[in-house]
Amino acid sequence: MWYNKLSKSAENTGVKSRMVIFEGISKRYGSHQALEEVSFTLKKGQVLGLLGQNGAGKSTAMNIMTGCLAATKGRVLIDGHDVLLEPRAARRMIGYLPEAAPLYDEMTVRGYLRFACELKEVEKKHIAGHVQQIAEKTGLQDVLNRKIGNLSKGYRQRVGIAQALCGAPDVIILDEPTAGLDPSQASELRALIRSLQGEHTVIFSSHILSEVQSVCDRVMILHHGKVLCDSGLEELKKRENKLRAVIACGEGTLLPALHSLEKIKKVEVIRGGEPGTTQVLLTVSEEGAERELFTLLCAMQAPLLRLQAQEKSLEEIFLQTIGENI
Amino acid sequence: MRAVFKREMQSFFLTPAAYVFMGVFLALSGIFFIQGNLLPRSGDLTGLIAMLGYLWMLLSPVLAMRLMAEERYRKTDQLLFSSPVSLTGVVCGKFLAAAAVLLCTVGCTFLYALIVAVYGKLYVAEVAVSYLGLILLGLSFLAMDLFVSCFAKTQMTAVMLGFGANLLLWLSDLAAAAAGEGLIKSVLSFLSLYQRFVPFTQGLLSFSNVLFNVLFVGLMLFLSVRVLDARRWSEA
Repeated sequence: MWYNKLSKSAENTGVKSRMVIFEGISKRYGSHQALEEVSFTLKKGQVLGLLGQNGAGKSTAMNIMTGCLAATKGRVLIDGHDVLLEPRAARRMIGYLPEAAPLYDEMTVRGYLRFACELKEVEKKHIAGHVQQIAEKTGLQDVLNRKIGNLSKGYRQRVGIAQALCGAPDVIILDEPTAGLDPSQASELRALIRSLQGEHTVIFSSHILSEVQSVCDRVMILHHGKVLCDSGLEELKKRENKLRAVIACGEGTLLPALHSLEKIKKVEVIRGGEPGTTQVLLTVSEEGAERELFTLLCAMQAPLLRLQAQEKSLEEIFLQTIGENI
Repeated sequence: MRAVFKREMQSFFLTPAAYVFMGVFLALSGIFFIQGNLLPRSGDLTGLIAMLGYLWMLLSPVLAMRLMAEERYRKTDQLLFSSPVSLTGVVCGKFLAAAAVLLCTVGCTFLYALIVAVYGKLYVAEVAVSYLGLILLGLSFLAMDLFVSCFAKTQMTAVMLGFGANLLLWLSDLAAAAAGEGLIKSVLSFLSLYQRFVPFTQGLLSFSNVLFNVLFVGLMLFLSVRVLDARRWSEA
């Protein structure tokens, strides 16, 4: 089996590259089951998007990951350290921005970031340089000496992210970092998150799907505390592809021929095309469906006027996945 | 712990919290000093220090309320709980910061002793023991209000709970008298901070009273850590 072959290398290198291990986590608040048997593993440098409606369990999962909350069942390992048994070692690897940025309004940005560095046990002589570096990265240089209470929402959120970067943690956890920002601020923030990719392992939650699409390379959908779907973004989109084709051929002869093709799962006719042509939406399951289609149409001598891949947006996938599981 | 202590101290002096506390405390103690010592030309400070004990009871919840309840209200506690600092470090850092403000305030009242020393005769040993009692009493109240503050979600509730707890402990010998005979009576009279404080103001230094206060502070801080830890298992 493939895992037998891999197991040896996993012992040597695999554990190290597995930054976050979430193992069978369940969380119960009284009678409410917030999370149920959630498991996943994240490699170093991956960006995971945690998707879900409000109340799906995203924040709970993140709070458990950081040790702010204890799970009812299961355990979390950060770079091999259990967050409950070795909290200090585990938390040293974590930078966390909760849903509400944990800011002290009376402090200046500089004072606050210095405090965050001290909490993260950055050596005293490196703190000033470190704060400067983070401020440059997050675009806070101009407001370093201002009071946090007087900053706009966009800047406050950036201070929150800067705080999560203090001490250069390997794992950065961001809970809805773009919530409440205007579009340009949100896009700047996404660029910032993208720049963390590779160096840091990032876990990022959102209910805005396009955001996840643009930032993450792996998506997990949570619904009512359960994992509905966990896969790479490309893989997720490839799972089911749709092709839109305009073919110069009558419906009557075309449709039975299309139905006979193996790799085409579903044929939908779109009305209202030019006379003498047929517009169809084909749901294809595998690679190579286009080749099959071309061969067929050549044999039928039916010219293909247009062929368009219809990329499924994450939104559709999301709604479909949730819909399938209700 | 140092980081928490430092930030807490900054916060005390960046917000009005410490100024209000010190201002009110010093203004009232000044009035007591004028009425009890300057006007009757008395050099006996122990009466003043006994009065300051009452002031602690009333004002320590104001100092302690922001320690935990405010963090929880502003959700800044998540920063502390997700950082490598232990809960013990957080609780001790906060307690020490508030204790430092308390000691500063007590330090300011040394001025009265100085005035007495210049214009009259100061019984140094007696006053020193009274002050020790006052500081221990203040720390005990503070530790308890910190503990109570761990339960509160807003500063307002923290203050109310603090007042209640302080009054109960201060006057638990009165409660004990009402409780009649039995276990409750002995527990309540054992806990009475007032009974432990009075000997200090009479210049009597008793090891058991010092130990009681120290253990009381330790217990309250320990319980605070347990409460915060327990919350991780339940809270939404």
